[in-house]
Amino acid sequence: MKTNGFFDANEWRKPVEKYDVCIIGSGAGGAVVAAQLVAAGFSVIILEEGGHHTKAEFKMREDTAFPMLYQEAGTRATKDLGISILQGRAVGGTTVVNWTTSFRTPQSVLDHWRVVHGVGGFTKADLDPHWAAVEERLNIKQIPLEETNRNNRTLYDGCKALGLAVETTFRNTRNCFKSGYCGMGCPVDAKQSMLVTYLPDAVQKGAVVLSRCRVDRLIIEAGRVARAECRLLREDGYGESGRALTIEANRFILSAGAIGTPAVLIRSGLGEGFVGKRTFLHPVVGTAAIFKDPIEPYYGAPQSVCSHALADRGENVGLFLEAAPLHPMMASLATSGFGDEHHARMIKLPFTSAHIALAIDGFHPSEVGGTVEVRASGAPLLDYPLPPRIWDALREGLKTLIRIDLAAGAQEVYTPHDPPFVFKSEKDLARLDEAPMALNRVSVYSAHVMGGAKMGDDPKQSVVRSSDLRHHTVANLHVVDGSVFPTSLGVNPQESIYGLAHLMGARFAQDWKTG
Amino acid sequence: MVTRAIKNEVTRRRFLKRGLLGGFLLATAGGLGLGLWPTRQDANPRRALKLLDERGFAILAAIAARTVRVPGADPIEIAHRVDETLSLGVPEARKDFTQLLLLFENALAGFVFDGRAKPFTRLSPEAQDAVLLSWRNSRVALRRGGYHALRKLTLAAHWSNPDHWAAVGYPGPPQIGRPT
Repeated sequence: MKTNGFFDANEWRKPVEKYDVCIIGSGAGGAVVAAQLVAAGFSVIILEEGGHHTKAEFKMREDTAFPMLYQEAGTRATKDLGISILQGRAVGGTTVVNWTTSFRTPQSVLDHWRVVHGVGGFTKADLDPHWAAVEERLNIKQIPLEETNRNNRTLYDGCKALGLAVETTFRNTRNCFKSGYCGMGCPVDAKQSMLVTYLPDAVQKGAVVLSRCRVDRLIIEAGRVARAECRLLREDGYGESGRALTIEANRFILSAGAIGTPAVLIRSGLGEGFVGKRTFLHPVVGTAAIFKDPIEPYYGAPQSVCSHALADRGENVGLFLEAAPLHPMMASLATSGFGDEHHARMIKLPFTSAHIALAIDGFHPSEVGGTVEVRASGAPLLDYPLPPRIWDALREGLKTLIRIDLAAGAQEVYTPHDPPFVFKSEKDLARLDEAPMALNRVSVYSAHVMGGAKMGDDPKQSVVRSSDLRHHTVANLHVVDGSVFPTSLGVNPQESIYGLAHLMGARFAQDWKTG
Repeated sequence: MVTRAIKNEVTRRRFLKRGLLGGFLLATAGGLGLGLWPTRQDANPRRALKLLDERGFAILAAIAARTVRVPGADPIEIAHRVDETLSLGVPEARKDFTQLLLLFENALAGFVFDGRAKPFTRLSPEAQDAVLLSWRNSRVALRRGGYHALRKLTLAAHWSNPDHWAAVGYPGPPQIGRPT
């Protein structure tokens, strides 16, 4: 049993019959809106499927961190196994394991949502003060170039050599020790994740956070959510303990993430229309570049340089470029092949730079993204067969990364094909035009899950309305997380979720007090 | 020609409808002699298994012995770690994986796709590598997906183990000191 408002659901005894607000999910959306609501005097309970883990348990080891902090113990993938999905699952959600990169939603994306998807409920001017408030609370600041590690510096140097626009990232950290282990939970609480910021803020003012509490379904009566039916999980965080819990509240907010939220809606009989549709992933491919001098891609701020030089490619799918940390397990996954061939490359780990290209999916009318389904057991499954235009973009992304790596001085660059294509100079780059870009021939990843319950003002074209993210037909149900995005973003998603949640939290506090 | 006929007949969607690999099993594991050739079970578990049975464990350990070719590699330990990770997965994924192992082992499926007539566990190391390569290079996307699932799970189980970090020059996490 954790105290101070954080409880293991198995050990919690319900002190009140009914809460003002029940929030499902404690990540970037749920935590921020919870803090706003308790500050305004509402009684709030937050239900979280993952466990409540804190820095003492963050041992900077992949073998313990992935089962503890990631969905499906780190093995989540799309239905055809084509895309591996790194998504958090803990009190604090993905913010506990992300690499701290923080950007506001680009103006061009907000414009696209307004014009194409009928998102008229807020403007950039509405969001600006809320982003500013979040940046203040989470200490979001741009990292100076001299504090970037070599893995990121090679990306920077290569972009500069090619004349590509490049900058350092903004990060939500305070007194960062730059260990390099953001992805396994920050061992010193430097990362300003929800776990150490908005959740404690909310709890201090009376919010209750229940961990290991899986929301099975919402019970709808007379057009309203009457209660949430939950199943509690065992100590291992996965199996069900056999205990159940029912939570009643006046209002419900779904913040279970872009795969979890549609799944709850579907299990609750609310799966019609765009629910579970238009899921976007920023599909990622990466290169591994071998340098003469040590890179040590496992140490230092893992993601501190990015390039948006290719974000606008006209009719083609845009791309953005970043770096990824490599610890032994992730390195072994990112290295193609098996046996001796695999090992010959693994031993170059200290000299390896890993750079990634992320496709900005969902902006062309033909890009409908993925679909969330619910399996017989109730667990969600994302089906996302990548269309040819995204494969084309990923090929272009690889080509650009190879040029960047070589310009930065790499001796050889490996593609994520199996077997890999290897480049030692730019002159044979045309070989990549013949390389197969196809399902399970190239390793594709995602760490950004967006969409699946899109917002908009036409009930036929969206799931929630954009002014307050309220479900179009269920009066006391709102969705506050990345699932409301009608497309992907072209930047790492956390700050887009924070800003929108902060704006909506303020609106809820005002509307619900007076309403 | 047999393989082409099967490939043409069974579309991706039909595979998916039947579960990840159910389509393969229905198409190939018809109870014929080849499909029943027993697994060579000389890889005994050292502790209680969480998900797999002893046959599945032996198949997985045999695969790990080929995917992780590193001094000090321990296929039994790798198989245990994969078993423990997968036991945390969703029920459908657990079932898919156990079916994948049986299909990988199955001599009839191997005959149809690769022209081999022995279970995977009874092949020479070189022939086992050829099976892995056949799955990797298959024209059927789900076989390639199966290859990556087996490859990634076994490699990850090995390389996430601190005992092996030094072999690739990884010094391990730093000591936590005062923030700088």
